[in-house]
Amino acid sequence: MTQPVPRILLVDCDAFYVQVARLEDPEGAGRARLLVVGGAGGRGVVTSASYEARAYGVRSAMPTAEALRLCPEATVVPVPRAACSARSREVRDALSRLSPVVQAASIDEFYLDLTGTERLFRGESLTETAERIRRTVLDETRISVSIGGGTRRLIAKLAASRAKPAGVYVVAPGEEEAFMRELRLADIPGIGPAFAEVLARRGLVHVRDALEVQPEWFERWFGPQRGRWLASRIRGEDASRVDPHEPRRSISSERTFFEDRDDDARLERTLARQAMAVAGTLRRQGLRARTVTVKLRDHDFRTRSASRTLPEPVETDQAVFEVARRLLGELRRRRRVPVRLLGVGLSGLQSEPGPHQLALFDEAEPLESDRDRTVTRVLDTLRERFGADAVVPGRVLGDAPRGGDVSSSSDGAASPPRDERRRSARRPPPGDAR
Amino acid sequence: MNFTITRQNLHQGLAAVSASIPTKTTLPVLSNILFEAGQDGVWMSGTDLDVAVRVWAQADVKEQGSLTAPGKKLQEIARELPDQPVEIQTRGDQIELRCGRSNFKLNGLPSEEFPTLPEVDFDEGWSVKGADLHQLIQRTSFAVSTEESRPILNGVLWELRDGQMRMVATNGHRLARMGVPAGSASAPSADFIVPPAALQQVQRLFQDDEEIGVARSGNHLGFRAGGTEVYTRLIEGTYPNYEQVIPKDNDKFAIVDKHQLASAVRRMAVVASDQTHRIRMAFEDGRVHLNVLTPDLGEGHDELELHYEGEGLEIGFNANYLLEVLRYMPTDEVRLTFKAPERAATVEPVSDDEPIDYLCLVMPLRLLD
Repeated sequence: MTQPVPRILLVDCDAFYVQVARLEDPEGAGRARLLVVGGAGGRGVVTSASYEARAYGVRSAMPTAEALRLCPEATVVPVPRAACSARSREVRDALSRLSPVVQAASIDEFYLDLTGTERLFRGESLTETAERIRRTVLDETRISVSIGGGTRRLIAKLAASRAKPAGVYVVAPGEEEAFMRELRLADIPGIGPAFAEVLARRGLVHVRDALEVQPEWFERWFGPQRGRWLASRIRGEDASRVDPHEPRRSISSERTFFEDRDDDARLERTLARQAMAVAGTLRRQGLRARTVTVKLRDHDFRTRSASRTLPEPVETDQAVFEVARRLLGELRRRRRVPVRLLGVGLSGLQSEPGPHQLALFDEAEPLESDRDRTVTRVLDTLRERFGADAVVPGRVLGDAPRGGDVSSSSDGAASPPRDERRRSARRPPPGDAR
Repeated sequence: MNFTITRQNLHQGLAAVSASIPTKTTLPVLSNILFEAGQDGVWMSGTDLDVAVRVWAQADVKEQGSLTAPGKKLQEIARELPDQPVEIQTRGDQIELRCGRSNFKLNGLPSEEFPTLPEVDFDEGWSVKGADLHQLIQRTSFAVSTEESRPILNGVLWELRDGQMRMVATNGHRLARMGVPAGSASAPSADFIVPPAALQQVQRLFQDDEEIGVARSGNHLGFRAGGTEVYTRLIEGTYPNYEQVIPKDNDKFAIVDKHQLASAVRRMAVVASDQTHRIRMAFEDGRVHLNVLTPDLGEGHDELELHYEGEGLEIGFNANYLLEVLRYMPTDEVRLTFKAPERAATVEPVSDDEPIDYLCLVMPLRLLD
């Protein structure tokens, strides 16, 4: 039997946060043509902007102040987080009734795998199916989506950008390379600004330029792993499947300060608070984490991070904080300037307690003992009954987020804002990103 | 400084040196290569402060002198140049390269800013065969720890004693130990803990048939052969007593073809948990059963015929540790020994010729159920 031709769709909500803000507040945000959703005030960052505001150059992850300079007439509203999660679930539920396999790639992006449904949909073309799905989602949830389609996830994803807004674009089987030829290398997920620049310095800006280069040269320039990855990506190759059970890859918490901070003790207090938040989410989902990452954005917007993978996974606030504190110390020693944003992330998540790897030598003091874990669970119970701040370690006292600080977190329900999402939800290209 | 060098000599020298240049550094001069033009050749040096590489290349020197210049850029230029003589000269703090019609000027930094390389007196040292050293490095250094929690395990222990030299590396979960005759009579009795990055350079830059000069000075070790020198800082501290953890009373043993065992383990590893890579092995007379059961994914089963002596045994391993150790075994047949499910297993080569002094240990995973 021949393999059926894969039929993959990516359903991407159009300016999702903007749509939700408008639906939630029809009289206010609903009337604003030039709408920016994000943190207000001097330090806020744009989460999403209406297409009309984007025409002025407003982009996600840009400071709100800059957005208002570009587009002074814009109305700024806060992110309606709870409503966004609820609407996202509605879209997902609607899609589950329309497609056999649905994978939520983020709060506003869903991959559908319709492979083998030709007979089921009575010979409907993939474009027609996509159109039907678009209309049904709009009718049922009032959320407008764009849909890209193709034989692979990567193609569907790139086609969706072409379909936006409120459209459908399907790349027919066999047309992948022709479709890719027209794109810029920087459009390909996994090729970030730094790598795009390296490529541009070699005269490679469009995919069609890079297709002329023999793959051996990529390997010579960028090393075997990364070279091969690039050679296959520009040909639209992508072996990843639409997998509804793909496990969570990370949990993170970030805070942008109202005023830049340069005081190590205060940064540590915030870090302790964030460690509590991410470790709490971790435990609620019954997970443990092996990798702890600390991220700093300095006052001049330079973003740095450091991470450590532990021999054994951890789950307590204390262990996460201990590791994070050391990482923060390293980052601060390397460059001690005022800090704009601080974040803690956990990855290498695992659900099973796991069989214990026995050691040859006596282990150095473990980061957390069974006793630590028990104490933490008791504290969790107390916090559940009496509130999150019922019992907190002394070191976090006095670290309530200040008016104007902007926090974001990514845990199960909510998804990180767009600029962060690229890092946490997508697999980075192999090798060094420079 | 002014000299002319063949493109090939320049490219080879730069390629040898630039692998020692750190990719990220807060000290700009470390991204540079130091050129020192002497009478009839040029020394090129690079360092990340832990490991330094210094290479001599023949050149036609018109004017002696020294300067540092950006290593990676020079290497990229040398790679793209046509095969013609390259003239290199300093113009103030700039370095100028001319080759055919190509001409480059790169900003350099004064050589005084370059860190002083350790002074090691090779006349006070001893020598080892390249092949011996490579053998030890290749078969042990894979086992070093990459965790920061015990810095001592980030190095390879190199022991010289009683005419023997040995290397040992471990991450606390598995261990590799190999020994060969020391070769040179002048070899001292000493222990060094060497960063694997330095050993990688030794492996990369020296040939099997070279006699490599080795010498120590204070906290540094130097390697030298031909016109190439590698220096490294040594890791300070006491290496854990590894002899103590090598089991002496393992009373069950299996002899098996390593390729067959490795491919069975690899098959099981496909279905093993991404995090623990746990597989389960049950040894009995004449065969071993391999099992894997991963919640949310599924299970796998395989079996293999082998020679086994001793009571039946069920034991769990991280498949990756087992595969690694098997990969470095120099013979087709290997011998595994066990005591109990929670005690160290050993893996050794089985050779009809001279016995090979090579031993790997793997600690099991505790089977909870």
